[in-house]
Amino acid sequence: MISPSLAAVSEPRPLLSVEKLEAGYGRVQILRGISLSIAAGTVTALVGPNGAGKTTLMKAIAGMIPARSGQIRFDGRDILAMPSYQRVESGIALVPEGRLIFARLSVEQNLRLGAVVPHARSKADQTLAEIYERFPRLAERRNQVAGSMSGGEQQMLALGRGLMSQPRLILLDEPTLGLAPIMVARVFEVIAELRQAGFTILLSEQNSHLALGACDYAYLIENGSIHLQGTGADLAGNDEVQRLYMGR
Amino acid sequence: MAAQLFFAALCSGALYALVALGLNLVYGTLRLLNIAHGDLAMIGAYVAFVAFSTFGLAPPVSMVLAAGLCAAMGWALYAGIFRRLFATPETAQRLEANSLILFYGVSVILQNVMALGFTSTARGYSYMGEVWRIGPVMASGNRLLMLGTALAICLGVLLVLRFHAFGWSLRAVIERREAAGIVGVNVDRVQGITIALGFAIAGVAGVLVSMTEQITPFMGFPLTIAAFVVIVLGGLGNIFAGIVAGFVLGFVETFGIALTSATYRSILIYGLFVTVLLLRPQGLFGKAIQVR
Ligand SMILES: Nc1ncnc2c1ncn2[C@@H]1O[C@H](COP(=O)(O)OP(=O)(O)OP(=O)(O)O)[C@@H](O)[C@H]1O
Ligand SMILES: [Mg+2]
Repeated sequence: MISPSLAAVSEPRPLLSVEKLEAGYGRVQILRGISLSIAAGTVTALVGPNGAGKTTLMKAIAGMIPARSGQIRFDGRDILAMPSYQRVESGIALVPEGRLIFARLSVEQNLRLGAVVPHARSKADQTLAEIYERFPRLAERRNQVAGSMSGGEQQMLALGRGLMSQPRLILLDEPTLGLAPIMVARVFEVIAELRQAGFTILLSEQNSHLALGACDYAYLIENGSIHLQGTGADLAGNDEVQRLYMGR
Repeated sequence: MAAQLFFAALCSGALYALVALGLNLVYGTLRLLNIAHGDLAMIGAYVAFVAFSTFGLAPPVSMVLAAGLCAAMGWALYAGIFRRLFATPETAQRLEANSLILFYGVSVILQNVMALGFTSTARGYSYMGEVWRIGPVMASGNRLLMLGTALAICLGVLLVLRFHAFGWSLRAVIERREAAGIVGVNVDRVQGITIALGFAIAGVAGVLVSMTEQITPFMGFPLTIAAFVVIVLGGLGNIFAGIVAGFVLGFVETFGIALTSATYRSILIYGLFVTVLLLRPQGLFGKAIQVR
């Protein structure tokens, strides 16, 4: 099965650490000094209301938008100034909100494009076979135009495309958005499988209940800064979180 | 007679396909409407003319020179202006919105500089003008060279797109620039190389035109128009369909004129253009795909 290189897993320092990160769009500042750290091999959840800045944080980590100030270290290296393709090369894959698949290309072409970085390209055939094994649905539809697939299938495709780059950290932004309940359950199954296989995952989710149940550690982000953090159970048991986000 | 027409249509189709290919590559990757595209072909044509009449260099050599010169212009434009503007979404948007005006400026400058340097007198030279008989077709050597070169370049670009890692990256940028970066494509590099490539192809197309036609500093505009018609026919940014559409235009024009008269040329071209825009705005071969 697919698994990231083991070298990183046994390291004591966090795989990703973000410090006092400030970022936004144009002149609008969204992230107001975010600090967080993600241990290798864990699932970290990012919960919070619409517009809190979860996607913006994901984009800043992936290099889709520049940071104003602060620090992002991945595997001990400062990646703040790296363009996004270099971050992919160093092992970060963003599975973006809205999926951003290549709609006019076939399923297989989408997946192969996920392996354009040199270290992934040489193993593309093997990784592709593994992804088809994990997601038989994608194998069945390999020659279909990606834009004509269902929402759930496109989400699997986006995830598969991310896996093709042989990442160590997977940034999963709202993977269940707009999916039927059965597909939501399937997505969480896959997250558990990936964690089992040794991947490190940062998961942003509207469905706080599910996310907090599936993660090792969680951050509550509001208005561009971290309000609460703790284990999934800690946050799930927190009165404020229950009242505001879990409808209890 | 029909075979002779077929050959003529093939030749003009190949040329249209080639000119449009360069424009489509640049539009597809950078979303910039280069209305100076035909003027780059004009530059290529003058390179060939000067090289031939002053230095005695044959057009195949000029193709390399013109490609190099135009590629350098494209790269300079990218490194000097576009790269910085593409760095943030806000400036990139402004650039895309104003690209028509910017390239109009480039077009006017190129035309006037060349008109100053060479006057607006039509120029020409004669190279491989001997006529060959190939079965039922009479073909001049220079037309065969033009056809072969245009076909080879189109095919080469398609092969790169299909099989080479750079071609894949290019397709990713054409399909969805913001997603290309996150799958690991060096978008900046792809854009720089592609604009150089698109300009180079225009330059080579100009050399090809100069072998069979008289050239002037203002020959670029009709080429630009033809290229626009072709890429709209094929669907903007769809490289393969654009090449096919080049041949469609060549055939419609050649056979249309043969069946009517040369005065109908513009009516045929624009008629085809407007009809396709009305009936199939996504291009002749495009599938309307909804993105979910
Ligand atoms: N491209 C953009 N340009 C300007 N502002 C933006 C842009 N994208 C997002 N924003 C703003 O940034 C803020 C944070 O948005 P973000 O998408 O990060 O929130 P989120 O936490 O992911 O929300 P959701 O749960 O709805 O996905 C919002 O106020 C949003 O309006
Ligand atoms: Mg979001």
